[in-house]
Amino acid sequence: MDYKTINYDRLGETLYEYDHPTGLKAFLIRKPGYNKKTALFAADYGSIDNVFKKSDGQVMNVPDGIAHFLEHKLFEQEDGNMLDKFSKLGSSPNAFTSFNQTAYYFSCTDLFEENFRMLLDYVQNPWITDENVEKEKGIIGQEIRMYEDSPDWRIFFNLLDCLYVNHPVKLDIAGTLDSIARINKELLYECYNAFYTPGNMVVVVSGDVEPEPVFTIVDNMIKSREGGRPEKRYPDEPETLNMEYKEQKLRVSMPLFNMGIKDPVRLSGYELLKRRTALGIILASIMGRSSELFNRLYYDGLINDSFRFDVSADQSYGFVNWGGQSSDPEKVSREIRREIDATVERGIDPAVFDRIKRSHEGVFVRTFNSPDIIAREVMDAYFNRTSYFDLSRVFEELDIDYTNGVLRDLFVRTPALSVINPV
Amino acid sequence: MESGTVKTTAEKLAEKDGITFYRINSEKFKTNRVDIFFLDRLERQRASANAIIPSVLKRGCSKFETQRELEARLEELYGAVVDGGCSKKGETQIVSFHMSHIADSYTSSRDNLFDQCSELLMCILQNPVAEDNGFKVPVFRQERDNLVDYIRSRINDKMRFSFLRCIEEMCSGEAFAIPDEGYEEDALLLTPQKTFAIYREMVESYPCYVYMSGSIDDGSAQRFIEQFSQVARAGIRKVEFPDVAKTVKEVRRVDESMNVNQGKLCMGFRTNVSPSSPDYYPLVVYNGILGGDVHSKLFQNVREKASLAYYAQSVLEKYKGLMVIMSGIEQENRDKAEKIILRQFEDMREGNITREEIDATKKSLRTGIKTMQDSQGAIVDFFLSQHLSQDGEDFESMAEKLEAVTIDDVVRVAGKIQLDTIYFLKPDGTQPQEDPQAELLDEPMEGGF
Repeated sequence: MDYKTINYDRLGETLYEYDHPTGLKAFLIRKPGYNKKTALFAADYGSIDNVFKKSDGQVMNVPDGIAHFLEHKLFEQEDGNMLDKFSKLGSSPNAFTSFNQTAYYFSCTDLFEENFRMLLDYVQNPWITDENVEKEKGIIGQEIRMYEDSPDWRIFFNLLDCLYVNHPVKLDIAGTLDSIARINKELLYECYNAFYTPGNMVVVVSGDVEPEPVFTIVDNMIKSREGGRPEKRYPDEPETLNMEYKEQKLRVSMPLFNMGIKDPVRLSGYELLKRRTALGIILASIMGRSSELFNRLYYDGLINDSFRFDVSADQSYGFVNWGGQSSDPEKVSREIRREIDATVERGIDPAVFDRIKRSHEGVFVRTFNSPDIIAREVMDAYFNRTSYFDLSRVFEELDIDYTNGVLRDLFVRTPALSVINPV
Repeated sequence: MESGTVKTTAEKLAEKDGITFYRINSEKFKTNRVDIFFLDRLERQRASANAIIPSVLKRGCSKFETQRELEARLEELYGAVVDGGCSKKGETQIVSFHMSHIADSYTSSRDNLFDQCSELLMCILQNPVAEDNGFKVPVFRQERDNLVDYIRSRINDKMRFSFLRCIEEMCSGEAFAIPDEGYEEDALLLTPQKTFAIYREMVESYPCYVYMSGSIDDGSAQRFIEQFSQVARAGIRKVEFPDVAKTVKEVRRVDESMNVNQGKLCMGFRTNVSPSSPDYYPLVVYNGILGGDVHSKLFQNVREKASLAYYAQSVLEKYKGLMVIMSGIEQENRDKAEKIILRQFEDMREGNITREEIDATKKSLRTGIKTMQDSQGAIVDFFLSQHLSQDGEDFESMAEKLEAVTIDDVVRVAGKIQLDTIYFLKPDGTQPQEDPQAELLDEPMEGGF
């Protein structure tokens, strides 16, 4: 069996890589001593992929929420629901749909091979009927209703609506009650056939298992299918904001705010990892828990422990955002903008840069405690044409000049502000 | 291709003045971790003070006087974490502190991070910044305001809010009704001096459990244990366990209106099974069959068959002997959902349980017990829970107990469980229809043990 073995001595980890003749890639990260074995089978296809060109040249424009709907439907098989079959083996199956990925996975402690075969089998064999599509509309409808009442999700999507004029990242992952009403069996199969091709998918296994049997199962079970990677089409996105401010009223105890900046720079591969890491360090240095700003706002009672910041950077979109609860979102917004301007002006302190970089490297090392997190990160990096393990190299190579460059390039842009006020 | 399981044990290193020290050694993790738990009876007069203590202590100590200095130090220590919090298990309130850091072999400096991080943890625990026998006034006031904000913000998460309200109504007049962080009005009455006095009581007299996890050598463990002798301990409190037996005379109904889109139905039950009873493991299996996982009766019937909900599940509160069934539904489907749920409950009593249902449940529980051993936090929580429930089982013997449960055992336990309170968070019709938003992960909340 022909596979690659890569040792990352500094991390104490080994990665195994296998290329299937169909173009599908498979990875294994061994975790000696772990009971949990997890496997993930994912497609480079998410909620933002509503417009695409099929291999026969036809351009499709499908309803919002269809990738997520398809994810729900793949669990259904002619002889029953896959959830039941995994349950019978004592394993727990699940799936998620993000802006850009759909992943099916399970975790188990026993009978890994049976579980793994089942995963590879059902994702390659959809069984969608008019009847089971209709039934799912009730369930997904309630999922949508649940998130209508979630302030954290509302504020996040309202922010995306501020940041983006055209890009579908601003759309709800599950769609709307109206858009899912338009989903039918035929459309689901169109999407399945376009995106669930081996060349557009990846398998990641993590746990205390040997590479040889894992890759043998992959080798035997992955079926060759027509079509490579479909051509995804995204609308042109201007560099300007859609709007600077959006507000909604919900039943919350005090106002919530979320601010963000849209990153117009499109990257992939190692350069994307590097930019993401730099953005994380910049945010931590401006508003992290050791920053002057965080402590001043906290001390003045303008923010509390709920304050967080985050970086999202993918091949077709990217943004940074931050927020939490505040009695005075407008004032916090002003203070943060002033501090951002001052930091752009003077650059990041070299000692602060070194300290935060070291801290973020520690957080990276910690992720290897969890087979689930590793599997997800390895998948995400692969679809972005890089390797999660290359983060080690990023932490060696990333310097303050590059980081200050990113700071001066991005943080001169106007942030948008999304606010949820109490009813 | 499966390899042997390494036994996970908590090795008792010392017991002195009501503090018990354990070490859970394992080479497989990237991190070392220390957990310290102070136990108190859940009582209204101390609940809010207990809740505020970790937040105030995190604000600085004699060596790092401000939060900012402390956080910068943690960053230097490769993103080490020092944190604290407050929660309840049954009618025991637990004030907890923990520290974790990556193992020295993953650092370039190869410093002794364990000693440095545990020193920091002990500094915030034992040497807070104080004045006039109280915490520093501005810091105290900020944290008191933050606690009040936190208590008020329970309303933001409607699923959790309705669960807490159901418990509060069901256990009205019992200690368990007191929320994990106490009450807003009690928090507002606290002063820096009163809270400092309760903090002193905590370090001097609350029973305390300490766990060191990771790869920690004898020397480091001993040096750490010795740091506890800085505080003189006396008059160690007793923490008792609640009586779980309760006969329900009449089922209570509580409806509350709110401007929300989705209704939340929560049904609270008395299990009449204590955690140390031989019926406890059958109860865990009962809960798994009824609403613990995707194969469960609730998931299958409320979600998969009737398409009424995205989530429908049951969770146990082990120490107080409670079970709560939760589901998010349209208001007009309320009666229908309630009927289906109660039908499942009756089916359990009547023994309408298939071999497949019990087998799937037992396997899933077995998987759960094994995977707990892959997380340092979960391992520590397991051992602490075993102390609290006075259950001497370890991971292996617990798995055996669950394996031995029969359908007859489950039906016997089913006969003891009584519906107590039905809580419904009702949309009041004022919430305008918005463009809906969605979560990424299709994961129903996990059932409790």
